[in-house]
Amino acid sequence: MIIKINGIPCECEKGEFILQIARRNGIDIPTLCHHDAFAGQGSCRLCIVELVAGGRSRIVVSCVYPVDRECEIFTENERVRRQRGMILRLLEARAPESTEIRALCDKYGAPRFERFVRVDGEKCVMCGLCVKACAELSVGAISTVNRGVTKEIATPYHEPSSVCIGCGSCAHVCPTGAIEMSETRDSRRIWGKTFRLVRCSRCGAVIGTEEELAMAAERAGQEQDGLCNTCRQERIAEVFAQSYGV
Amino acid sequence: MKTIRVCCDTGCLASGSMKVAEEFERLSAGSGVRVECHVKRTGCNGFCEKGPLVTILPDDISYYQVKPSDVPEILEKTIGKGEAVERLLYRNDKGERVLRQQDNPFYAPQLKIALRNVGRIDPENVDDYLEEGGYQALKKALGMTPGEILDEMDVSGLRGRGGAGFPTGRKWRTAAGYDVFPKYVVCNGDEGDPGAFMDRSILEGDPHSVIEGMAICALAIGAEEGFLYIRDEYSLAVENFRAAIRVAEERGFIGDSVMGSGKKLHLSVVRGGGAFVCGESTALMQSIEGKVGEPRAKYIRSVQRGLWDHPTVLNNVETFANVPYIIMHGAAGYAAIGTEGSKGTKVFTLVGKVRRTGLVEVPMGVTLRQLIYDIGGGVQNGRPFKAVQTGGPSGGCIPESMMDLPVDFDTLKEYGAMMGSGGMIVMDDRSCMVEVARYYVDFLCGESCGKCTPCREGLKQMLAILEDICHGRGTMEDLDLLESLGETMKDSSLCALGQSAPNPVLTTLKYFRNEYEAHILEHRCPAGVCKELTSFYVDPDKCRGCSACVRACPVGAASGEPRSPHKIDPDKCISCGSCREACRFDAVLTKGKAVRKMKAGAGENSSGNGARDAAPGDGGFERGTAAVSNERGTAAGNENSTESGNGIGKAGFDAAMAEGRDGK
Repeated sequence: MIIKINGIPCECEKGEFILQIARRNGIDIPTLCHHDAFAGQGSCRLCIVELVAGGRSRIVVSCVYPVDRECEIFTENERVRRQRGMILRLLEARAPESTEIRALCDKYGAPRFERFVRVDGEKCVMCGLCVKACAELSVGAISTVNRGVTKEIATPYHEPSSVCIGCGSCAHVCPTGAIEMSETRDSRRIWGKTFRLVRCSRCGAVIGTEEELAMAAERAGQEQDGLCNTCRQERIAEVFAQSYGV
Repeated sequence: MKTIRVCCDTGCLASGSMKVAEEFERLSAGSGVRVECHVKRTGCNGFCEKGPLVTILPDDISYYQVKPSDVPEILEKTIGKGEAVERLLYRNDKGERVLRQQDNPFYAPQLKIALRNVGRIDPENVDDYLEEGGYQALKKALGMTPGEILDEMDVSGLRGRGGAGFPTGRKWRTAAGYDVFPKYVVCNGDEGDPGAFMDRSILEGDPHSVIEGMAICALAIGAEEGFLYIRDEYSLAVENFRAAIRVAEERGFIGDSVMGSGKKLHLSVVRGGGAFVCGESTALMQSIEGKVGEPRAKYIRSVQRGLWDHPTVLNNVETFANVPYIIMHGAAGYAAIGTEGSKGTKVFTLVGKVRRTGLVEVPMGVTLRQLIYDIGGGVQNGRPFKAVQTGGPSGGCIPESMMDLPVDFDTLKEYGAMMGSGGMIVMDDRSCMVEVARYYVDFLCGESCGKCTPCREGLKQMLAILEDICHGRGTMEDLDLLESLGETMKDSSLCALGQSAPNPVLTTLKYFRNEYEAHILEHRCPAGVCKELTSFYVDPDKCRGCSACVRACPVGAASGEPRSPHKIDPDKCISCGSCREACRFDAVLTKGKAVRKMKAGAGENSSGNGARDAAPGDGGFERGTAAVSNERGTAAGNENSTESGNGIGKAGFDAAMAEGRDGK
């Protein structure tokens, strides 16, 4: 099937998401809440595009819109720019501390609205990626709390989570660096809880928190070797070399 | 044998109908009554304002606002002798007492289909429902093929009564077309629009009709399991519905073999936690699954992948209540009622500043004027009509000039409002349209799920702007910004809640722009509602010196000698409006308040956002108003000089602000 994005014919499969097709064809669409590892959420709305099909035109979010018939898509027309600019400025007012959002505003020429109320010191744009990462990769220690304009990401009752393993997946996927994670030589602090770090028994590089490794062992059903990825590869290579007498 | 129907719906219960019913039961069981009678506790009769309602059959005499102390007289006269108790009858607009419900102007134009049994039967007694032809439609549907049921639904033209108006037949047919099992039937009883209670009345008053509708749907699409999602605040509805499911299973109407057909259908109640957004179909399904109630993009529809990713038909309570009627009486007859695009009837809740408030069901296509004036009796206290808010937070405010529009799914939408689920809030000249818009945006700020940016952040900014306008800190550029925000929210929000959230703002901007302008340019709230912009005074020519205002004033600002014109001390007045409410001669009038002069240079918009976040009194009110007030201050008719500036000290302003905050 062929669809047109900004006039460029793009080959695609039925059911593929517009964002996927656009990126494969080198067409730029900005995103915040999208991560290739997870299913699309459609929450930040930054990836909006205009879809024209069957004589009807509307704004859709490209990350979760599955193409089901021939259509024309515009990622940079006036309507998209106007809406995206407004969304960016709304995000900027929400997270004025985020350099990423400011850069996006500049890149996409978002008009300024001095009028907007700003949330001092905020970096989080409530995209929800951290919650998704924690639920799918880790233990589901954080979630969205409240609803409406008071919605936020937090641990239950804002207390240090009893189940958090300190893996830092949330901080890693956050597009605006809003989740605070700090490390000393022996410990990592995140979500108000301190974890002891375990280091590679060969090279001494950090391989995770104690809780994280315990979970990995449990999931794998066997004790872990206490090595970092590099050292593990090296050791396998050594075993390999020995057995073949290389 | 006479029947005494006592309305025991939430509305009438609140007016004490349970005591009335108990008194009837107690006294009629005694030996004093010569004629045999039995007392029936029914659901809502609609005219909740005049509850508790009592109807005597077969005489067809309806009594209103009945107290337990009236019971002996009713028993003696009406049950014993067949005579009416005059003082308990409804007095129509001509002042005549009317016996029958049909002669009451509130009921006369109504046509009850969805509400056909509500208020007539005892919801706890399934035999009562059976007597009215209950479960006959299900029996008939069992003799039909799924295709025949779907054809009937198509012909009927029934559209979803929850507000969106999607054709029910088409929805069912799509779900029926998928060969993925299990399939689910879901009934949306998460009614949340302020001022709407039609679904509650059906769930409380006629739960079996909803069960029967869901069962027919299950037959048509091939579902064996169904859920009814009711908001937990509707405790009586939850109770009645659960009881109804139990009885229906015991009697074999549903369960392991639907009316002996061998087909299964199990229904259960899921209680909603009170989130408005869970009325949105995909959020509702998330909630049933035990997840956070957030909508998802509907690019793949629920009929294909709904509950637990299986084909799911979700309809509103009122939609399901219509289904048995359509199957029983034929789709063609149903389709003959209503308009070209909107068939059948619609239940509306008529509330606000209307003389007769309550629940009404009328054919689609009646005009707003018929609804508000013929049935509702016009605006309370003879005040001028200003607007009617339809469709809850997703709807809009419709002005007088559009009163002759027919109410159906499509017409109001063309004008930026919507029929929605059927809430109608009537407003008079003392309703401030800016404040109304602010109220709905404030409501949605708390009730948006907060998932997507345009809705969550857009509402937050809208609220800040509207609050500023209500406090006299708005600018004309704010109106353009509200429109831009509205456009983005409409176009780019994730679900229908966000897409329709700007409607209250956009419609008031469209039809009542002059009110916004009065707030901004003249620092005056034309309706006299926004405290910061309203001061009250007495028109000495109209004042009769009755002292009603003096008694009503909570702070002793109103004073005067009896029978001579009174006065309101502006320094003491807190602009609560109690005096105006109390005055029967319209002698209390409003005007703009003196605008406080700001610090130099504040009018240049230089304060930006910093000032906006600052504490009240620290300059947060500065923005743009000083320059405007210099030009317009006199036009607003302010007595106090706009130049008084620091004359009203910071402390005074803080106090005024605190007042405003408390009032919210």
